Amino acid sequence: MNDQYRYYEPFVSRYDPCPPMKVKYYNVPPQLFISFQPPNWPQFQPHEALRLGTLWPPLYSPYPPPSEPREAGDA
Amino acid sequence: MAMQLDDAYYKLLHDLQAVDFVLVELNLYLDTHPQDTAALQQFNQYAQLRKRIAEQYEANYGPLMGFGHSMSRSPWQWKESPWPWQV
Repeated sequence: MNDQYRYYEPFVSRYDPCPPMKVKYYNVPPQLFISFQPPNWPQFQPHEALRLGTLWPPLYSPYPPPSEPREAGDA
Repeated sequence: MAMQLDDAYYKLLHDLQAVDFVLVELNLYLDTHPQDTAALQQFNQYAQLRKRIAEQYEANYGPLMGFGHSMSRSPWQWKESPWPWQV
């Protein structure tokens, strides 16, 4: 489960010269919704933090985006 | 003569990377939370741990940094492989 990507369906023109991308997505990382980090958050173990790219689980943002595109509105 | 790298080498380097990353995170956190004594204590604790790991690495495998930040045995070890991109 991952609510850090939002999906939408762009307009597809019949004259689009390229195969259309029916579902597009953008990333909404958790730091957008945290104005000031509170003290004493739980922490990852050092090796895990190194792999995940943050010391604090609430700031973890998965990367890369999901490989299988989902329906718009699903997330 | 190429140096043979054992599993302990990679474990030590991995530990060093992990501890360095924790220090980066705590450094940035403390920039905005200078009064958080628990975080400060953790930072200092990890700084000491980093120093221990770095000393162990350098004793076994040669200097981590140049220009006087690490010491070298004789003959001069800095030029010895493996270089970072060979590891």
